[in-house]
Amino acid sequence: MATYDFDAIVIGSGVSGGWAAKELTEKGMKVLMLERGRMVEHQTDYTTESLGPWELPYRGTLPPAEVERDYPMAKWGGAANTAQTHFYSNDRLNPFDYQGSKPYRWVRPNQVGGKSLIWGRVSLRWSKMDFEANARDGHGSPWPISYDEIAPWYSYVEKYAGIAGSKEGLPQLPDGEFQPPHPLNIAEIWTKERLEKAMPGRKLISTRTANMTEDKPEQGRTRCQSRSQCARGCSFGAYFSTQAVTLPAARATNNLTLLSDQVVTSLEYDPVTKRVTGVRAIDTNTMQAKVHRSRIVFLCASTNASVQILLNSRLPGSERSFADSSGTLGRYMMDHAFRTYVWGSVPQGELDPYIAYGRRPNGVYIPRFRNINGQDADADFVRGYGMQGAASRNTAAPVGFGKSMKEGLRGYGPWTLRFTTFAECLPYRDNTLTLHPGKVDRFGVPLGVFNVTFRSNEMKLLRDSAIEGQKMLRAAGLVNVGSSSETHVPGDAIHEMGGACMGADPTKSVVNRWSQAHDAPNLFITDGAQMASTSCVNPSMTFMALTARAADYAVKQVKANAI
Amino acid sequence: MLNTNRREWMLGAAALFGSSLVAPLARAAEAAGTQAGFTASRVLLTEEQRALVAAIAERIIPTTDTPGAIAAGVPAFIEMMMADWYEPTDRNEFLAGLGVLDGYARVRYARPLPGLNPEAQDAVLTLAMENAVPGLARTFFEHCRQMVILGYYSSEIGCKQERIYLPVPGRYDGAYPYAEVRRVFSS
Repeated sequence: MATYDFDAIVIGSGVSGGWAAKELTEKGMKVLMLERGRMVEHQTDYTTESLGPWELPYRGTLPPAEVERDYPMAKWGGAANTAQTHFYSNDRLNPFDYQGSKPYRWVRPNQVGGKSLIWGRVSLRWSKMDFEANARDGHGSPWPISYDEIAPWYSYVEKYAGIAGSKEGLPQLPDGEFQPPHPLNIAEIWTKERLEKAMPGRKLISTRTANMTEDKPEQGRTRCQSRSQCARGCSFGAYFSTQAVTLPAARATNNLTLLSDQVVTSLEYDPVTKRVTGVRAIDTNTMQAKVHRSRIVFLCASTNASVQILLNSRLPGSERSFADSSGTLGRYMMDHAFRTYVWGSVPQGELDPYIAYGRRPNGVYIPRFRNINGQDADADFVRGYGMQGAASRNTAAPVGFGKSMKEGLRGYGPWTLRFTTFAECLPYRDNTLTLHPGKVDRFGVPLGVFNVTFRSNEMKLLRDSAIEGQKMLRAAGLVNVGSSSETHVPGDAIHEMGGACMGADPTKSVVNRWSQAHDAPNLFITDGAQMASTSCVNPSMTFMALTARAADYAVKQVKANAI
Repeated sequence: MLNTNRREWMLGAAALFGSSLVAPLARAAEAAGTQAGFTASRVLLTEEQRALVAAIAERIIPTTDTPGAIAAGVPAFIEMMMADWYEPTDRNEFLAGLGVLDGYARVRYARPLPGLNPEAQDAVLTLAMENAVPGLARTFFEHCRQMVILGYYSSEIGCKQERIYLPVPGRYDGAYPYAEVRRVFSS
């Protein structure tokens, strides 16, 4: 009988790792959680929280030379903001590579809590059509699970996390267990009324968000205070983060051991028993490696990092990962396609007397409306996109200088709505993450090499969103309607998914319907790496639901002595 | 240093949410100091240049019913940004522009710009804005204006006296009457 240091090891402490630790410890398992980044404690380590602009270095913007030196990737996630820089990984110290002319952006956090401290908090369910998409149009591997199977798990994580949203009865965006929504502002209400009348089927709703509108005293959390400083950490615990929500729950069981500053380099594997037998981690302070042993392992290191760890976990005497008997490990790497924008202003007049008091943590959302009832006749693409935005009034533009300019800057410009498209990205077998044959990082891990591009379907989705977006804003009566697009580099949406995809067929996928590795039944991969497609909605709620579900299954399997 | 508004809201927060919240936020409030990004790491400007920057800044955002750019510390902010934030090319362009503008004042009025009365200073700046100062880079005025606006409205005076500082709004009202404040909220 093997002996273990822990019942379970959870690799990573972000959205997925936090849920794994909470669920496993609450079910009585002794858990070791390993986090690559530094320790950040709730409240005490939110060092920039509540600082005014004059109390931030460079009044809030890191010098460009420093950004380019240390944060050329992380800047796409907000690291150039000196209120947030400390929550991002230094790219100079953590290099990766990409194929020739196919740039990739990998934005990484650097702390306990991972990206749960800096995420956009948009909290949406996948729909029936999302789980059926691969089977329907033949891209990627078919999902072995249905919406109905996952729905109870969405409810479970939503209730605990605290999600604010409106019930809309839309099949493409299922309702959940919601606290009251954050309110629309007057310009959004104005636009919503006109849009939904002019173009039936198009909806403008309050973005469902993990910022609470009601207190959760039993969790020591207070509703959102409309500061909009979420990415600095929130001592009110108003939004879902590992620190505010899952970590306190896991710690309360006394079953959790949390070690920060631990870079997991690989998993050890016994090909005879087909089990993961150890987790090798390097302490970033001492640079000493240690192998930790447990009965089961939850890999939640983030999509790219989890795939990299698996690729670096090779069978003895082989170049091949133990988890790659299907030949699909590191394939089907995806990210939402975005950087297409539309905007328009409310005409001067009735709304001019109004401004916003407070800073709402969310905005408004136009749910997918394309290819909902089968394929639209006028669509030369499959699947769809959603649009995220808000209406706001900028400070008036400066005119001249002196007293008149100063007084002018006490006023506001027009109410303007701005939207960004998030388009579904198809799973492509040849969008890959592999290991560099020669270069290694400071921990001896071969660099990840990305070979990921968007193709014609993604480009068509983005183009269609620019056309339809402008059409909607004009139909609603907005003026000065426009659109622009920037080159979208994969990884940029920070919605990376895939690489260890879920599927029923072990020859075509890496994990089964329980997020359990086909090649190692005591290994569960529950972060974005398991995703077999991307939907067009933000993925975090699905990571949470699948993680909680996998933990429930894993503990039952352990108790039944099946793994 | 604990500022008044924050102390007020923290006392309010303590009453509302219990004292556990207060300590970490109070610590956060002490972060500002003399480290990089707050004061220039080296002396960049001559005394003459410093006076010139102060004069320009104060004419762009003068003292009115609220304090102006000098009271808000904008000249020192600009020197810090020039010394530690800007790339050498931009820095040199800015310094060259200062020289051209001052040179113009000396030729036109036989005095350096800071020594002129406000009306004459405004006349020179208006020419700069209209790209009518010979030899002055077309971007110089706009660059100055942006620096002054950034420095002023991100200063404590700019946030709290010129604008209305709302560190913890506590609620969101998307139909708030502008007439109630006739100002911009700052965060």
